[in-house]
This record gives sequence, structure tokens and C-alpha cells, in this order.
Amino acid sequence: MPLPEQFIGRGDHQRRLGVALAALVIAYISWKVLQSPEQALQFTYNGLSVGAVYALLAMGFTVVYSTVWFFDLSYGAAAAMGAYGVFYLRSQEALGGQYEGNNPIVNVVLGAVVAGVVGWALHAALSGRLRARFRRGTLLLAAGALSAGSGLYTVLVLAFPAEINLLLSPAVCAVTALLSSWALCRLYRVLRPGARLAPFVAASAPVSGAAGLACALLVAGADGSRLYLSWAVSCAVAGAVGLALYRGLYIYMRERAHSPLVMLVASLGVLLAVTAAITLVFESAPRPLPEAFGSDPRTIGGASIKGFNLFTIGVAVAGLLFLRLLLGATTFGKQVRAVGDDEEVAKVVGINTTVVIATVFFIGAVLAALAGLLSGHDTAVQPRMGLLLLVKGWIASVVGGIGNLYGALLGGFALGLVEQFGIWDLAGEWRDLISFVVLILFLSFWPTGLLPRR
Amino acid sequence: MNATPPRLVPAAMRARIGLIAASRGNVELWANLAVLTWAVAFLVWQGTGFAVTVGTVFAIWAILAVSLNLVVGFTGLLSIAHVGFFGIGAYSMAILTSGTSYDALRTDAIPTFGWPFFAALPVSALAAGLVAAVVGVVLNRFRDDIFVLVTFGFAIISYSVFLNWNELTRGAFGIHDIARPAAGGLVLDSDGEFLAFTLLCLALTVAVSWLLVSSSFGRVLLAIREDEGAAEVFGYRVAHYKFTVWIISAMLAGIAGGLFSSWTRFVDPYSFVLLESIVLVSVVILGGLATIWGSLLGVMAFVLLEEGMRFVPFLPNESIGQARQAVLGVLLVLLMLFRPQGLVGKYRL
Repeated sequence: MPLPEQFIGRGDHQRRLGVALAALVIAYISWKVLQSPEQALQFTYNGLSVGAVYALLAMGFTVVYSTVWFFDLSYGAAAAMGAYGVFYLRSQEALGGQYEGNNPIVNVVLGAVVAGVVGWALHAALSGRLRARFRRGTLLLAAGALSAGSGLYTVLVLAFPAEINLLLSPAVCAVTALLSSWALCRLYRVLRPGARLAPFVAASAPVSGAAGLACALLVAGADGSRLYLSWAVSCAVAGAVGLALYRGLYIYMRERAHSPLVMLVASLGVLLAVTAAITLVFESAPRPLPEAFGSDPRTIGGASIKGFNLFTIGVAVAGLLFLRLLLGATTFGKQVRAVGDDEEVAKVVGINTTVVIATVFFIGAVLAALAGLLSGHDTAVQPRMGLLLLVKGWIASVVGGIGNLYGALLGGFALGLVEQFGIWDLAGEWRDLISFVVLILFLSFWPTGLLPRR
Repeated sequence: MNATPPRLVPAAMRARIGLIAASRGNVELWANLAVLTWAVAFLVWQGTGFAVTVGTVFAIWAILAVSLNLVVGFTGLLSIAHVGFFGIGAYSMAILTSGTSYDALRTDAIPTFGWPFFAALPVSALAAGLVAAVVGVVLNRFRDDIFVLVTFGFAIISYSVFLNWNELTRGAFGIHDIARPAAGGLVLDSDGEFLAFTLLCLALTVAVSWLLVSSSFGRVLLAIREDEGAAEVFGYRVAHYKFTVWIISAMLAGIAGGLFSSWTRFVDPYSFVLLESIVLVSVVILGGLATIWGSLLGVMAFVLLEEGMRFVPFLPNESIGQARQAVLGVLLVLLMLFRPQGLVGKYRL
């Protein structure tokens, strides 16, 4: 499917106007910078910290949008769920003062979600390759045992928050060892194509085992593993919901070839319901998330920035690299692009479009949840944050150019900077207005965005 | 021995049974029956005091929904911006008629005009229409999902203006002491009289909308909805038609806003948040696109849903609004899955 015509520029005079506007904005910003460089640096830091969250949202949004070509509003629900997942798991005030949100029913539900995700991942990644070799019953049994085991393990970890480091370390050991072994094998394949893998796996086992053990020891002695666990569980839950929404809902609408607006309205319904459910459980007032880390401001070049914000910017850049590698350098990435170009043809050439799109939804929802929880740690969580973040992610991806990952990162940072410099002279409450004016100007004069798709 | 069974049922009765049999699977009929029965049951049970309050809420929302349906259902432009025009109407009424001078209170003072209600109501409509004209020029460039995105933007911008332009709207403090309708000796001060006036406005809105959509103008709107390019090829100035219906719809929303602020006698920005707009669009889609009766039915169902939820066990009173929103969301998803035209709608999104 080609890019919708609305993102295609319509004539040179428009572009000239757009360039003139951009020049005006740049002139304003540079005038401000000349006026007081220190303050400008401070605003730049603020803009980059806010922009990192927008960039994460924009990246996930642009990947999902350029695969399925409809505005998925439930994406905002994923962001809110990520933030409130952390709030639930970390806050002692949540739900009548249970210790660290340690509620057996919720633990079991979370465990079931994790089991479902593991089962789906096994199905998506392995069923095609292994079905030729093993019997169906054997595969089912193995997959069932693995997913049930991971679910039970999650329940166990959640049930004993005090022993979390000890309980987590075996899992970390296993995952790291497997991952490093896989990476080594990939490398070996590239270096010596055609050689047998089994001897190499045996030979490299000590290396990967050592890596796993080292990570396990790190986790066992670490302080923040409870925080990271809450992040991982929230992201997994949000991702699972995103995946389930596609697999259980949107796929049927796409099969009936409804217009994109039907899907948009359905996802609107999901957003409404999730926002209302979150409000019912957690009240509508903004609540602070417990401190993560790096909350002390540090001075760099005359202006201060929190360590946590630096971390957020790092996460955004890492997210870009991860997505770039995933979509640019793997078979899965090729499949995603094929589905985005034409789903029917992709199906004809043998791509399992259901698995590919569902995985894209999973990735998108995880990125949104990550953005939601990072912004929650930075400011506060409130039920309607999903809608606000979603809208900002949209704007950032339109500014950067729909369908372009680098553009999404650039657009996120640009939006954050323009917002911050915009409220230099105005009051801070006008931020949302500024970002929408940016959106309308971009759509009118520069619909391809900063970096066009191709 | 396949003799036909003797006809024990009289003819008139059979006709009725036939109606019921035909209605199996007829969602439209069942939806009408269910909502209307629900409404009548509530009226009988709760009495007139209940009817006056709920009736006013219904009438104001119904004006909004019918006017929004002109844009969403008949022209096919999914607009989330409607609450902005509603708010502009409400604030025009509030600023023009509010009698309180705020100098005594140590908050932002706004100028006091002290206009009568009937002078301010047309201004509410005009103000909403004027803003709609400006917004419409921008919006006419966009279609489909980008149109939705930009209308989102307008809803957020208008809320942001209501909340932050303290010199005009007193921001989060809101404006008190807004006039009820009064002309000469006729003062519509009581809630019952106000309800009658609101219903009159609703009837006028329905009449205007009906005349609009059943005229040749309305048929062009349908053509635009079905295929904009084809309508243009036939020589219709599509942009002109979309612009006109957009402004008419906004003016009706402005009237609804004027009524709303006069009814509550107090406005603050929180009645005009983006979520309210989303709920409104959901109600219009729930009732049915491109039918006036569908919008009325949808609003009726929506208003009654809240009252019905008071009887759900284990649901505290203060969370009814949220629970209703959750139900609405789930209903919307189900509708999109099984019945994309809404309960009694004529047009699928």
C-alpha cells in the first residue's frame, strides 16, 4: 500500500512556505539563544528530555501505522497501562495499602499474561521450524510446559518481593546464556557459512554460561531489580494487550475489509474503556510514581538535567537502534516491510501475516508502555495521560515523516524543543496548543515531514 | 397424512405474531423497543422531578448529537472537534449574560455585559459559526484519518484556550451567575419551563436538520460521503458543501452550548475536555449514522444508561460516570465488529 496521499507534498509553493516558516522558527530560536545562552541550554535539556518520550511513542506508532495503515488509538491505552502497571507494582498506597501491590489475584493474572506471551512467542518463532521435525503432541507439551513454567515463575517472583533478587537471578542467568549462545552462533554462521553448528555450540557453551552467571551475580547483588521487574512486567502486560487486540479484534475487521475509520473508532472504544477502567481502579487525580533513580539534577555546561532524563534520552536512542536492526537487518524486518507494502501479496509469497502484524503490535505496545512509564517516573501518572501521550506521538511522527524511524526520533526531539522554546515567552499551560499548531502547520505546508519515507 | 393444522389463531393475532417473527434478528426494531420501553419505565417509576433533570440533559445532548450527525453521518467527516463549538457557545452565553462583578472576589475579573438571554443566544451560535469558518478553512484540506487527527487538535486547542485565557474565561474558576431565558414579562426560570424551551430548541434543530438532509443540498452531502471524487466530477463544489454543513453544525452546537451554560448557570473548562467529545462521537455512532432518529435514540440510551447503572450492585455512586464510559467503549468495539452502522444507522463508516 502506498503512502496515503495526504502525506505527499502538493506543489512547490507549499514547500517554499514551509521552508519560510521553518526559517522563522529557527530565527526565533537563535534569537532566544543569543539573548541568554544559559537559559536556552536549560530549555534545550528540558526539550530533549520531553522529546525522548515523544520519540519513543513516535517510533512505535510509525512502525504500527506503516504496517497496518490505520490510526491505532488503543496505542495510548498501552502507554497508560505501562505507567499504571509500574504504579500498581511499585506503590504502597495503591489498592488499600497492600505491601508493594502484592495481591494474590493480580499476581496470578499477571502470571497468566506472562505465560500467554511466552506461549505466543514460542508459537510465532518456532512452530514453523520445528513442526517438520517433531510430533505435534511433543511440541504442544513442550510449549505448554515452558509457558506454564514461566507463568508460575512470575507468580512466585511477584509473591515474594523481599527475595526478588535471589528468585530472579536463575532466570536472568538462563536468558543471558541463551541469548549470548544465539549471538555467538549467528556470528559463527556469518564467519564460516556451511560449517556444522553443534560442535561450535558445545565449544562455546562455557563462554555463554559464564556470561549468564556473571549477569545473575550482578542481579543477585543489585538494588534496582525490583524496579526493572516492574518495568518488564508492565511492558509485557501492555504488549500482550496490544497483541491480543490485534489477534482478537482488528484482524476480523481487516478481514472484512472495513475502512480504516472503522478500526479507528473501534480502537477509540478500547481507549475509552481502558481509560475508564484505570480511573475506576486508581482514581482520576494525578499520582506520583515512586522515585526510580537519578533524581538529583546534575550540572552540565551551565544548565542542569536529571540523570533519569539522560537515561530516557539514552533509551530513545537505543530504541531507534534496536528497531533499525530489527527492521533493517532481519528476515522479520523484511516481512514487516512486505506486509506494509501489500498484505495480500505478502500472504501469497508465504509470509505468516498474522504473526508478523501481531508481533508488530506487541512491539508497538511495549514501546508505548516504556514511554508511558518513563514519563510517569519523570512527572506523574494520571488516567488521561494515555490520550495525551498518544496525540504527542502522532504529532512527532507526522513532524518527522510517517514511516521513517530516524524521522520519528528527530520529530520527537524537534517537537519537545519547539514546545519548550515556545513556552519561553508564554505560560507553560500553552504547551499542548503549541504542539497542535506545529501539527497543523506541518500537515498544511510540509506533509511529508522532515525526513520523507523514501 | 399431512393435513394442514386447523387455524386456531385469529387473523389479527397472526399478523402480530408475524411482526414478532419478522423482528427476530431485526436489530433496529429491538433497539427502538428496548430504549423506548426503558425510557417510559423510568418516567413512570421515577416521576416528573426525575424527568425534568434527565430530560434537559437529554435535550441538550440531543441537539449536539443531531448536529454532529450532520457532519459525521451525512457528510462522512469524523469530527472530534464538536465539543469545542459547544464550549464556545457556552462561554459566549456566560460572558455576555453573567451579572456578577468579580472585583470583590480576588480572582481575575472579566468585563460584565449583562445581556439578556435571548440576545446572547444568537451570538452564541454566531461565535461558534465564526470559529468554525476559520477552522473549516484549515480542515477542508484534509480527509479521513488526518481529518480526525486535526479535529482532535482543535478540541485540545479550544480546551486549552478555555482553561488558560484568564482575562476572557476566568480559567479554572469558571463563570457564575448566568442568565436564564427571560423576555419582557415572560421569565422561564423554573426547571420545567426551561425544559420546555430546550425541547423547543431541540425540535427546531431536528426540523432544520431534516429540511437540510432531505433537500437537494443533503443529497449532495450523501454523494460526497459516498465518493468525493465523483461528486466533484459531476460539477459540485465539494469544498463549498463541506464548509457549509460544517458551519451549520457548529452553529447548532453553539446553541446547545448557550442552553447548557444557562441551565447550569455556571461554566468551567472541565465540561469541554477532549474525552467529552469522544463520548459524543461514540454516542452518535452508537445511535446510528445518517439518521436523525438514531442520534435521538443514541442519546436516550446513553442518558438512561447512567440512570440504569445506579442499580448495579457494588458500584459506588461516584464511579457511575466512569463505569458508563467503560460500557460505552465496549459497546463501541462490539458495534464496530458486528454492526458498523450503529443501532439504527443507514451508513457504515
